[in-house]
Amino acid sequence: MPDVKIRNIIIVGGGTAGWMAAAALSRLITDEDMNITLIESEAIGTVGVGEATIPHIRYFNRLLGLDENEFVKKTNATFKLGIEFVNWGRIGERYIHPFGDYGMPMEGLRFHHFWRRYQAMGKAKPLDDYCLQILAAKAGKFQRPEQTLKNSPLNSIVYAFQFDASLYAKFMREFAQAKGVTRVEGRIIDAQRHAETGHVQSVALENGQRHAGDIFIDCSGFRGLLIEQSLKTGYDDWSAFLPCDRAVARASEACADPLPYTRASAKKAGWQWRIPLQSRIGNGHVFCSEFMSEDEAADSLNADLDGAPLSEPNLLRFKTGIRKKTWNKNVIALGLSAGFLEPLESTSIHLIQTALARLMASFPDKNFAAANVDYFNRRTQQEYEQVRDFLILHYFATQREDSPFWRYCKNMAIPGSLSDRLALYEANARLYRHDNEIFGETSWLAVMHGQGLVPKSYHPLANSLPADVLTERMNQLERVTQSCLDHMPSHRAFIDQHCKAQ
Amino acid sequence: MMTSTQQTALKNIVIVGGGSAGWMAAAALSTMLSPQNVTITLIESDKIGTIGVGEATIPDMVNFNSMLGINEAEFLKAVNGTFKLGIEFIDWGQKGERYIHPFGNHGVDMNGIDFHQYWLHSKNGGHPAQLEDYSLCASAAKDHKFTMPDRNPRSLLSHIRYAYHIDATLYARFLRTYAEKRGVIRTEGTVIDVHQCPQSGYIQSLSLENGARIEGDFFFDCTGFRALLAEKTLNVEFDDWSHWLPCDRAQTVASEPSLPLLPYTKATAKSAGWQWRIPTQTRTGNGHIYASEFMDDQDAADILMAGLETPAMGEPRLIKFRTGCRKNIWTKNCIALGLSAGFLEPLESTSLYLIQMGISRFISLFPSGDISPVVRGEYNIQMQKEFDQVRDFIILHYKATQRSDSPFWDYCRTMAIPDSLTRKIELFRAAGRVFRYDDELFSKPSWVAVCLGQNIMPESCDPIVAALPYAQVNQSLESMSKAMTQAVEKMPTHETFLKRYGAMS
Repeated sequence: MPDVKIRNIIIVGGGTAGWMAAAALSRLITDEDMNITLIESEAIGTVGVGEATIPHIRYFNRLLGLDENEFVKKTNATFKLGIEFVNWGRIGERYIHPFGDYGMPMEGLRFHHFWRRYQAMGKAKPLDDYCLQILAAKAGKFQRPEQTLKNSPLNSIVYAFQFDASLYAKFMREFAQAKGVTRVEGRIIDAQRHAETGHVQSVALENGQRHAGDIFIDCSGFRGLLIEQSLKTGYDDWSAFLPCDRAVARASEACADPLPYTRASAKKAGWQWRIPLQSRIGNGHVFCSEFMSEDEAADSLNADLDGAPLSEPNLLRFKTGIRKKTWNKNVIALGLSAGFLEPLESTSIHLIQTALARLMASFPDKNFAAANVDYFNRRTQQEYEQVRDFLILHYFATQREDSPFWRYCKNMAIPGSLSDRLALYEANARLYRHDNEIFGETSWLAVMHGQGLVPKSYHPLANSLPADVLTERMNQLERVTQSCLDHMPSHRAFIDQHCKAQ
Repeated sequence: MMTSTQQTALKNIVIVGGGSAGWMAAAALSTMLSPQNVTITLIESDKIGTIGVGEATIPDMVNFNSMLGINEAEFLKAVNGTFKLGIEFIDWGQKGERYIHPFGNHGVDMNGIDFHQYWLHSKNGGHPAQLEDYSLCASAAKDHKFTMPDRNPRSLLSHIRYAYHIDATLYARFLRTYAEKRGVIRTEGTVIDVHQCPQSGYIQSLSLENGARIEGDFFFDCTGFRALLAEKTLNVEFDDWSHWLPCDRAQTVASEPSLPLLPYTKATAKSAGWQWRIPTQTRTGNGHIYASEFMDDQDAADILMAGLETPAMGEPRLIKFRTGCRKNIWTKNCIALGLSAGFLEPLESTSLYLIQMGISRFISLFPSGDISPVVRGEYNIQMQKEFDQVRDFIILHYKATQRSDSPFWDYCRTMAIPDSLTRKIELFRAAGRVFRYDDELFSKPSWVAVCLGQNIMPESCDPIVAALPYAQVNQSLESMSKAMTQAVEKMPTHETFLKRYGAMS
């Protein structure tokens, strides 16, 4: 039998994607004759857009065996309970998309059906008041879930982090190097390919070195050094659905108490993020160049900073979409080289993480079985489309008509998968999570409800509970949620006690 | 901003037909809906027999019962039930071979990599243990043992998953008592005419032979293969899958019970189909499913009788069917449930499960009086997917064979199969990878059990596992199998457990 074992893994590029790949692979591959090499150049900057995350990152941390407090300290991180969306449905409106659930399911139905009925009875408080995560976010409070309290909302707190992406990459780098990953400094100028198979065999560096590999992980960012420049894989452009194509980013001074959530404020031709870290605030204005100039976007960002700027504005250009194949021959694209979806729902790091999980589950040998590669590509494509649909929802479900940008979004054609979902919700508040997609029913509800979509009716079975029983349960829920909230420490106090950055 | 949530509500639900499907629907709806708000009527005729094919079940049935709040021991007693830990497949890959498709897992995954990858590696290194030696359910099944799963997730016994073998006629009777107690109205009679709204085509009422007229605003067609409403009234199109699953008849007969009571179903491949053996407390259900294109009815009956392990309790009964699925299971104001919705042979005991899904999906999409096409569309998409996925898994059993001893098996071995299945088989053949799509019913361990049980050997195993020294892998596998053997030794026999549980006298 010919030797088909993969021995040399080359990671091209050392931003977040590259070092996450290096860390995960070095943790999972214990075989001593498999070598992992990461090539990066200090001359090439990294794009640190993805500073806010979603809760799944905690699985990744656990996989690496990280101590969470240590991790928070070293990446200057804060905790995140959700995202506040400002001015999306209409100017002047705001809502929070929480990670945890609203209320609790009753009689096998989701809580919001009962809330709608309760509202029709004229008794309901706003939906947010039945969600501990939202109340805690608004009050600037945070704690980790209390495992011992079985049926308490305190047991089901779900959180993620907001961190400094360059510190995160550095943290991952230390982890990976300690596990034996070789780091090579240098700029890649050429890739050599096999004459028949077209597989990448080696890359040449500016300094004359040549590095051969069996498999290459392309983490070179938007350029797609191997996946595109070398293999000409092609790119599916989704900018008709998501027209923003620029961002200008700038850090500013921290406020006294960091908010336990990210803020996304809609602007005239895009939106602005605000990500509070322990020692600074990350800000960025994502916009559409067709509707706004770069200067105007930078001015708008500067005008809306909460504190004094700590850096010069940094302009990024991108095209929303996905590589036609994220795994092509022996090259796997990871991070921005695979595709780009704006960070409105903080999915960048998550998409890296799931692609890595998929790569490990489908880890090949030198035969690169087509079934394996096809599976990987189909699933990646599906995952990007699911996130894409959820992002489009934010733009499409708007009543704003105050600028050409918003008029475009409000009237644009959307994918059928999304219009079906909207129709189902509008008919009678039904929500489904399809195919294990990242965003579940709570997320869809938060955005649809938050942006003013009103279903014609709710689940008829919500009527089966006698009115006095419903009233009692809702009162009880409100009381319990409030007392849980009283019990929680402030976000600042929690950090100071457990994981203050040095 | 908020609009009024006043809505027209369904007031009259009519279920036509009283077999398993009809009474399962009646029972489930009667617990979910309050009788003050909705009237549920079930029309059945004692003259029309029911088909009791689906006597073996899968673990989801346990959830259905607990949703109804049914006491398990009482239920088993009423339906002559026994426990089921899996299915033994005999003569499928090649004649003389057998394997168990167990409920629950094989072994325990390590470092995020599936257990069977470690087993493959160990086998490549010459280790003789079979995959099913690492399945608690398969090991217990072989020893005729049973016990309940342990709730403590750290206990080995937490890996037990089980279903039931039941008498379907008794089950319908049991659910009838349950449903009638909760206000379901049972009407005796044969439907002779169906009245539709001339504009919308919605069904409005049914005329019975005795002159009665039953009105309804929603209808369940549980009339079996006849599909009185779905086919005869609404002409809902049927997708024929017999080119993939050519069996179209069954000869069935009950036989005396045999001891020890087996906690598993047997499915034995025959020259033009296969034969089931389902042990209940008081009798054994048997049936021979075959393709009439390859075998005549008399031969099929002879094979059935020759394959019995105990004396027959009557003459063989012939059932004809067509494998496939109706395109829009929910059309207008009518849902087809059970055999009227579609038929997939009971090779993996999915009949009652598909009914259960048909009901729970309806409850989760429960419509208001004016049924939204979006809601109906979503139901149909979800149910279609469910049927497709079960179909693929069943085709796998026929396609993954090396048998060439009859024209039937030659056909199956060489037939074209759906792309979705081809992809799965290729992926498994390459490096033993299995992925579960879209929350499909049969998960990883099921695909692994059948693929390996029918000799689809991966060309390589997971490269990361392959790098581990054999001795290290063998050691952890052996300690796992030792723990399982010890656990099984301590279990009571299936029969002892049933008696102790109060499920059998």
